[in-house]
Amino acid sequence: MENVIEIKNLVKQYKELKAIDDLSFEVKKGEILGLLGPNGSGKSTTINCILSLLNYNNGIIKIFGKEMKPDSYDIKSKIGVVFQDVSVFDELTVYENIDYFCGLYIKDKETRKKYVEDAIELVGLKDFKKFYPKKLSGGLLRRLNIACGIAHKPELIFFDEPTVAVDPQSRNNILDGIKTLRDNGATIVYTTHYMEEVEILCDRVIILDKGTILASGTTDELKELARIEEKVTVEVNNLDDKYIENIKSNNNVDEVTYDGNTLLVTYIEGKNNLVDMIDYLKKESIKYNKIYSERPTLNDVFLELTGKELRD
Amino acid sequence: MTVFKTFLKILKKNRGMVIFYTVLLLVFGGINMSANKPTTEFEATKPSVLIVNKDEEVGITKDFIKYIKENSETPEIADNEEARNDALFYSDVSYIVYIPENYHNDFMAGNAPELEIKRTGDYTSEYAEMLVKRYLSVASTYQKSIKSEAELIEKVNETLSKKVDAEITSKLDTTTLSKASFYYNFASYSILACLIYIICLVLSVFNSEKIRKRTVISSMSYKKHNKDLLLSNCVYAVTVWLLYVIASFVLVGDIMFTSHGAVYIINSFVFTMCATALAFLIGRIVSNKNAVNGIVNVVALGSSFLCGVFVPMEFMPQSVKAMAHVLPTYYYVKTNDAVAELEVFNIETLKPLIINMGVMLGFAILFVIIANIVASKKRKIG
Repeated sequence: MENVIEIKNLVKQYKELKAIDDLSFEVKKGEILGLLGPNGSGKSTTINCILSLLNYNNGIIKIFGKEMKPDSYDIKSKIGVVFQDVSVFDELTVYENIDYFCGLYIKDKETRKKYVEDAIELVGLKDFKKFYPKKLSGGLLRRLNIACGIAHKPELIFFDEPTVAVDPQSRNNILDGIKTLRDNGATIVYTTHYMEEVEILCDRVIILDKGTILASGTTDELKELARIEEKVTVEVNNLDDKYIENIKSNNNVDEVTYDGNTLLVTYIEGKNNLVDMIDYLKKESIKYNKIYSERPTLNDVFLELTGKELRD
Repeated sequence: MTVFKTFLKILKKNRGMVIFYTVLLLVFGGINMSANKPTTEFEATKPSVLIVNKDEEVGITKDFIKYIKENSETPEIADNEEARNDALFYSDVSYIVYIPENYHNDFMAGNAPELEIKRTGDYTSEYAEMLVKRYLSVASTYQKSIKSEAELIEKVNETLSKKVDAEITSKLDTTTLSKASFYYNFASYSILACLIYIICLVLSVFNSEKIRKRTVISSMSYKKHNKDLLLSNCVYAVTVWLLYVIASFVLVGDIMFTSHGAVYIINSFVFTMCATALAFLIGRIVSNKNAVNGIVNVVALGSSFLCGVFVPMEFMPQSVKAMAHVLPTYYYVKTNDAVAELEVFNIETLKPLIINMGVMLGFAILFVIIANIVASKKRKIG
């Protein structure tokens, strides 16, 4: 499959600080690539370099097979960006805002009108066309922000944390919209802190920290990088220390934590850990409220790779 | 058109300020019009002169007193020196002539007796002195050749009664021209305020970090976007200028159809272009919408005060006049004031006005160059 984005040996340095350090990756046509990383990991800097919003010190950035430069207007016409901050005119209505930003790409009035209507339909703002941004809720503003970024039907779309501080209904609407865009053939680069969104949306994920790639692959491939196999959580009160020590003594147990209410056991391997735990609790006549098992998340992978949480 | 249409939408949201500054111009311009009704009558001013005569009221002394009284006001003042000094101090009288004893005899004898004079020093005392000197000068001239006092008096009166017809050759309607000058001078404040307010506001919206990022990543070239914005500003500026020119035709009247009117219009157009460039520069530097009001006050009001829009330049201290030279409004006001006194239109008389307009255009070019440098520096975010 052809590469829509090719980045080779990208370096961006702010005086002594290397924000991006020899970064190389590709984005295939039609895929959704997730860029994961904590604040300051270089996600936004990478996107700004790709869009020629920032100068960079070294490296090559190619989009649609051509080198990306500030005056590459033919490439820019195929790109859409949804910024993290809502970037709209307070003085214009929902319709006028989308029409203005679409007008920066589409000259033909009739085509633009259709595109604007399509974007409004996609983000579910049909009932708010004549509303000014100040009258919209946070979730609706985010949807407007997305509509302004994608109304011109770009082939490559960058989403920079589009669901920050969004209510569940708007979040679902936004995620559905992104899936529709992908289904319509767009290539998407998606940055977020929310792993569940990455797991739902992304075909491939790159984990960034300190401007370098820590790991990349599909979510399943990344999860295989995790040392742990399974996590079992038990809601149980006043558990005696001797039971905790017994659980720890199992060979396949990696770590046991207990805060007085919740017992969390992580396993390195084994496929019947949940059943074994239930049997053990029954055998010791320990009463519990709830017990459940989880596969390792991307956050666990990130925690293992960097020693810190994604949202740190 | 996308940029222009958005410019108009933002302008429409802020049209209140444009209306405010226009009303300000019409109201203040209108007040000045009614305060400067043309004067159609002329009345000579007579100085108040007191004569203290220590001579006998006969002969040349009597005739001198008669001439002065005919050509001046004679106030009623008590016959003592303290009262006369008080009258002089309080300007109840502007000129006191003391005629010494035996004056007429000494005069006819050719001794050229001196008159004692006390005066306030104001312009009416100058006029009184002119009257006295005129009489004595004529009388002294005849005294050298005429020995008969009666004949001398007759000759003096004959000479002094001769009048010279004077014709005012200037065809300038100075009253209307000063009205036009005031209107156009005040218009500089309204033009600056309207342009800076709206253009800065619009540019601060377009230049906000978020909107600018979207523009830079779009397929519209940044140069084209800038050009569209500049064009929108120019269209708006020309509309404001046209509105104020049309208002001047209504308020000032026929003079606007003359060469004087044409120079006022051309001068205001050049100033409008300069103000647009200045507003464009400020708009490029300022990205905070809330700061626009303050900037309008500092730039429009400040330069109007410094450059003689509200208070004529002749009343300004030297330091303020020197400072005003670096502001375009100074050259605009200077041209308007010069137009009001311009009688003949030729290359020589128009040259200083053309130089002033050239200076304003120079300012405009400088502002555009700086604005472009600022814009290109701001294009990259890091």
